[in-house]
Amino acid sequence: MNKVFKALAVPYQIWLYILVFIPLLAMVGIAISNYDSSVLLNQINVDLSHWSILFQSQNVIAFRNSVVFAVLTTIICAVLGYFTAYYIFQSKFKNKFIILTIVILPMWSNLILRVDALNNVFSKNNIISSIFGFSPFGNITGTGLAILIGLVFTYLPFMILPVYTALEKIDYALQEAALDLGLTPFKKFWKVIFPLSLKGVVTGSIMVFLPTLAGFAIPKILGKGNFLFIGNVIENKLLSSTIFYNHGSLLAVVILVFILGSILLLTRFDKEGETLL
Amino acid sequence: MTETKTYPVATLEEYGYKDYSKLQKPMKVLRTVLFILVFIMLYLSIIVIAIQSLNSSVRTSEFLSVTFRWYPNIFNEEDLMTAIRNTFIVSFIATSIATIAGTFFAVGVYSLEKKKRQSLMLMNNVPMLNADIVTGFSLMLMFRLLMPIFPNIFGLFTLVMAHLFFTFPYVVLSVMPKLKETDPNLMDAALDLGVKPYKALIKVVIPAIKAGIFSGMLLALTMSIDDFVISYFNTGAGFDNLSIWIYGVVGRRNLTPSVYAFSTLLTLFTLAGLMVYTFIQHSNKKGKREQK
Repeated sequence: MNKVFKALAVPYQIWLYILVFIPLLAMVGIAISNYDSSVLLNQINVDLSHWSILFQSQNVIAFRNSVVFAVLTTIICAVLGYFTAYYIFQSKFKNKFIILTIVILPMWSNLILRVDALNNVFSKNNIISSIFGFSPFGNITGTGLAILIGLVFTYLPFMILPVYTALEKIDYALQEAALDLGLTPFKKFWKVIFPLSLKGVVTGSIMVFLPTLAGFAIPKILGKGNFLFIGNVIENKLLSSTIFYNHGSLLAVVILVFILGSILLLTRFDKEGETLL
Repeated sequence: MTETKTYPVATLEEYGYKDYSKLQKPMKVLRTVLFILVFIMLYLSIIVIAIQSLNSSVRTSEFLSVTFRWYPNIFNEEDLMTAIRNTFIVSFIATSIATIAGTFFAVGVYSLEKKKRQSLMLMNNVPMLNADIVTGFSLMLMFRLLMPIFPNIFGLFTLVMAHLFFTFPYVVLSVMPKLKETDPNLMDAALDLGVKPYKALIKVVIPAIKAGIFSGMLLALTMSIDDFVISYFNTGAGFDNLSIWIYGVVGRRNLTPSVYAFSTLLTLFTLAGLMVYTFIQHSNKKGKREQK
């Protein structure tokens, strides 16, 4: 491409610097300050006394909940998502676009509304039991199981798509070569296809793990307040009468550490983010 | 006549071949069952929403009879209409700017040297990989610190800025592969024929990457219309989009069934649009093949 167009990258570079670094720096800065809504901007000081909230039992439990549910959701989504992506990849349907559309279409409906609909189905008297006379899930609303099912149902497409993208990029000649060289179909999958599609699994896992770890709407709606996630703690800091920006920032910084770890992991597998779409 | 000695024919098993064909049938059944299960996982909520939109009872716990009255009723629900309008305003502005500017940004990034490009792409991916809550919270802090200068900053402006922040990367990321696919000689040919670089960009390169721009636009729109967390932190002055509004009402347990009607309509329109799109693509391909 022509060197003249380099100039076009400059505004984007500035935009990214302003909106990637400044907010994050502000957040880290506020995490070590005494800033809350009762403090005027010129009274902000360095203050580490609120760091003790990291060890409050409520917050420790919230962190544990977030991590446990995120890990479980990621594993379940990885197994089911890989299977589905592989099924689509292997299927003899000519128009794969339609099948992918089927996967993406639910994402076009509002997420909160979908979770609320799940919540209705999870409760004792629901629309399914009213029509068919039986309730497929029983009365699980407010339990950890409800949250887990809700998370898996919501984030499964985020696993299917990157895995499918990675599978599609595998050269078909490799599969033929594997079979010609005498591998059984299962060995072909395990030794050739699976390692090559691992990139998609890593991307998908991150796409599932991070929103689950940091989400707060799904545990709040499906958990009925029985399970506090770290996102809920941050949300509550902002809903209280004195808004504790410093507490919220500190907790968000902790989430950020998880994210940086994930990004480092991803860049080892996928340099330019090809499977992100 | 020489006598030919007959050797016993080696069976496939003796070559180490194991017959797995018996396993094929149960595997097939298992595959189908799992696929149906995944389909239910993806569509349960959509189906429930559709049923609720036809339910004549306001309560979600019982199904009384089929009614269509919630559909025209969408227009009578003022709060819902405002929320829908806000969602479309924000998404329209953000998607338009992100698509047009994002395309030019992608061209710019693509013309950089490899090392610079990679580091910029890494930054480009930050908004996509960063957890919504961190993005939303940190943007809110930045806008909050700007409040002494612009006291009424929260509202449409902050919402559009936040949406632009996470829609740009999708446009850049979907335009980039198309740029890589285009023939580099295309640009040189245009320049040799005496076209100015920027004119060549618009007349030659942009048409070549049309598909990437379109898919980027679609992704940006999808993300923007459905966003909750980032919008939740960056809105203000009562400027609620649909997600924020629903989240607020869900807590109070009096969601009007018209929301379900609106959602179902949106799903049906999307489905119809995608079907028309595939149909057009299909007939285009056919036409091209016949021309050849």
